[in-house]
Amino acid sequence: MEIRYRIQSFLKKPHNIILLVVFMLLCYLTLVPMATMIRDTVLVHVGEAKRLKLPAFSYTLEHWRKVLVDATSLNIFYKPFLNSLLTSLGACLIALVLGGGFAWFVTRTNMRWKGILSSLCIFPYIMPSWTLALAWFNLFKNSLVGGSPGIISALTGIQTPNWLAYGPFPIAVVTGLHYAPFAYIMIGGILRNMDANLEEAALMLNASRFRIMYRITIPIVIPAVLSTFLLVFSSAMSSFAVPTFLGLPVRYQVLTTQLYRTLNGLNPGQGYVIALLMIILGVSILALNQKIIGKRKNYTTVTGKSSNIALVNLKKMRTPISIIIAVILFCVSVLPLLSFALESVILHPGDYSFDNFTLQFWFGTAEQNSMANSEPGLLLNPKLYSSLWHSVKLAISCAVCAGTIGFLAGYAIVRGRGTRLAEYVNNLAFFPYLMPSMAFSAIYLSMFAVRRGPVPALYGTFLLLVVTGTVKYLPFASRSGINAMFQLSKEIEEAGTILGVGWFKRMTRLVIPIQKSSFISGYLLPFTSCMRELSLFILLMTPNNQVLTTLLYYYNEKGWNQYSNGINLLIVIIVICINSIVNKVTGASIDKGIGG
Amino acid sequence: MPRIELIHISKKFGKFAAVDDLSMVIEDGSFITLLGPSGCGKTTTLRMIAGLETPSEGKIVIDGNTVFSSSEEIDISPAKRDIGFLFQNYALWPHMTVYQNIAFGLENLKWEKDKITLRVQELLSMLRITEFAGRYPAELSGGQQQRVAIARTLATSPKILLMDEPLSNLDAKLRMEMRTELKRLHLETKSTFIYVTHDQLEAMTLSTKICLLDKGILKQYDSPLGVYNMPGNTFTADFVGNPSINLIPFEVVSSEGPALLLQNNDMAIAYSAAAPLQAKPGDKVVIGIRPEFISVTDSHDIKATVYSSLPSGMETIIRLKIGEIFLNSVVFGSLDFPVGSELGIDLKGNKMLIFDYKGTLLGAGSACVKDKE
Repeated sequence: MEIRYRIQSFLKKPHNIILLVVFMLLCYLTLVPMATMIRDTVLVHVGEAKRLKLPAFSYTLEHWRKVLVDATSLNIFYKPFLNSLLTSLGACLIALVLGGGFAWFVTRTNMRWKGILSSLCIFPYIMPSWTLALAWFNLFKNSLVGGSPGIISALTGIQTPNWLAYGPFPIAVVTGLHYAPFAYIMIGGILRNMDANLEEAALMLNASRFRIMYRITIPIVIPAVLSTFLLVFSSAMSSFAVPTFLGLPVRYQVLTTQLYRTLNGLNPGQGYVIALLMIILGVSILALNQKIIGKRKNYTTVTGKSSNIALVNLKKMRTPISIIIAVILFCVSVLPLLSFALESVILHPGDYSFDNFTLQFWFGTAEQNSMANSEPGLLLNPKLYSSLWHSVKLAISCAVCAGTIGFLAGYAIVRGRGTRLAEYVNNLAFFPYLMPSMAFSAIYLSMFAVRRGPVPALYGTFLLLVVTGTVKYLPFASRSGINAMFQLSKEIEEAGTILGVGWFKRMTRLVIPIQKSSFISGYLLPFTSCMRELSLFILLMTPNNQVLTTLLYYYNEKGWNQYSNGINLLIVIIVICINSIVNKVTGASIDKGIGG
Repeated sequence: MPRIELIHISKKFGKFAAVDDLSMVIEDGSFITLLGPSGCGKTTTLRMIAGLETPSEGKIVIDGNTVFSSSEEIDISPAKRDIGFLFQNYALWPHMTVYQNIAFGLENLKWEKDKITLRVQELLSMLRITEFAGRYPAELSGGQQQRVAIARTLATSPKILLMDEPLSNLDAKLRMEMRTELKRLHLETKSTFIYVTHDQLEAMTLSTKICLLDKGILKQYDSPLGVYNMPGNTFTADFVGNPSINLIPFEVVSSEGPALLLQNNDMAIAYSAAAPLQAKPGDKVVIGIRPEFISVTDSHDIKATVYSSLPSGMETIIRLKIGEIFLNSVVFGSLDFPVGSELGIDLKGNKMLIFDYKGTLLGAGSACVKDKE
């Protein structure tokens, strides 16, 4: 009797029902795949049976041995692992120095053109990360590895050295540039919200500017910097496109490229081992992050009056510094787009003379393009339109599903705060963030490849792509949901409850309108990420549901440069347009979603 | 010895003047409160004295040294003004322990380690927070954080201590306690205190002089009792005192030297000013009567209806209604009055204030209620 009563009162609260449903859904979509994958690391797969001389579907520890303690382990795992560590650390450093430095200039000095520069600064984050890689490739590639020379070599006649064109250096720089806006948003947010009185108090006590910086400002910002560092680090570890473009020409392998090779080749078992190791790494990074944040020194401070701290006067250096920053931003934000445009209208790659310009890759018919494998120009190409349609359809579906589930989960987590269930849901909803996209899709591939119980085989269907995208982007959406709900006091909803307003109406008339822009950001992030995603979909793709990014990858693999550059330009323009339209109409923006 | 002079200070944010042509002298060793409603410019004034905000115009002199002057282009940095500043939200550094917070200012002055330890110990015991030395601010209650902030500010023994609503984040009981302590500190440290508050009771009880600001303009600068008994204008009269003063508009019916006959729709009074004043029949005036000067009687010359009665044990605040006029009255003793009952009223003493129609004080005097003709 008592238990029944308790269950009844538990289910009376809408947030408990949501928590329960989301919990079960997430268990099925994250924990079950995880278990499947662990099993896959000890399973003899069909393609491996012959080589291993074991019957298919029997169990073996051979994969683990090969990856960790065999003579070949060095090449299969350890080298790529070290390469991943090296490039990710480099990327983090670059992202933090550039992003954090820029944040300091914007919030603490009288630099010029702050508004326009900070919106320009977000560009590299909106663009697919490989956009920059491709731009780097366009600019610096040389003919040493074969193929046509890049813009710099062609214009100056100097062969760019290999270390500058390929391998760890450009991978770190490009990944770092891509995540610098992320660091800018995170650190800038902290600097902006940091109580200026804390610095003023030190100023009143005779501390010099420098001493205030290293005794007060930096120590207070450091936890945020560290968690930015860890997030960038784990994202960089799981990035696939950049090392593919910049590393493969010189056979520079990192974990993700190794993962793609093994999963797509004859050793899926080894691939799953690598994927599992990457997930373990991700989880430990998150645990470290939690530990840093949850320390004794609580950093939440009572916010004082919104007084502005005196901005550092750059004096004579004001204009020069502003110009330097503007030039750097131009190079990372605008120059890449120009290079795509340029590369897409060049007939013979590497020849930048004027009579080599052509628009046939945009407007040419199949007959006109006979020299380019009779591939019609992009704007006449049915492949482009069908994949554009698939991309948009996929991005919208994922955004709607992830955004809605994320909002509901965020709502329920905040309302049910302190309960164990809310804690579980919170962690489960964040879990997909830690799985490298490639490993994540590998799991889904193995889980949905065949019919299991009532769930039919989903491989090759559009639905599988939507499910994968939704779960993978759920962390973004649930984070913005949680942030939005934390800003909304509970009393606002309770005032509605007392007036007898039902749950659904409370949501649609009170909660959602008040936090509209935060919630829309929760939809915008998955949409943007999905439009530019490659590594998540590349394993799941079948020819009949190509999206723009996989089409780009296909052209790139074939070496049809003009087409891949053209598509790249299209993706960037579409994403930026949609972002600015949504921003203009609703006031929601990418930085609101992650900045909280 | 520090004496602070503000000479024609203005601070403009765009077109809006937060502080408008403010001049005042703060004597050494005094306890000044800057009092006014929110947005009146009191915090801005305090921050300008500290050097955290730059005035648009004017001159600030501390201890004979010009620390700011717009015409001479002088702007001395906050650190060099020998000033302590206590922030409303305490601004304790969350990453430092209580000890480190207090020692920070002394380290900046390059004190020796053992001298610092000694001084911090002294402050810890003075403010009774010795046992919290190793804790972080987040592990302290509001009152404890407040004490740490005070200790940190006092550590360098500043000659001038500026405080920006330091008690507003505390609960009522703690606030009372801290008021006593601040007054004691003022005596012990012999520093000049400048204190920002919007709480008139705090200003009344703490300060040697009150500076009342409204919309960036200085309304009155006087001792607490001076402000209370002879407010220069109706704004001051209304802002200071709780329950608030009764301000009743009248028209002059007749005047004979200091004796005036005043009347409005609901009542008439005979007013006798202490000194002759300029008022001729037909002039509009406002009479200000503190609640404690209205007593209730059994005589039935003029009837007032009890609108509300708030007994607190020591005294009872009654709100009375005569026609359309509401009056506050304070009656001492444990009394309660039924709502709706009728009482007679009497005006006591010679501190009835008279203001002209613009709200400027004309003088004081005595008054008695007359039958309305």
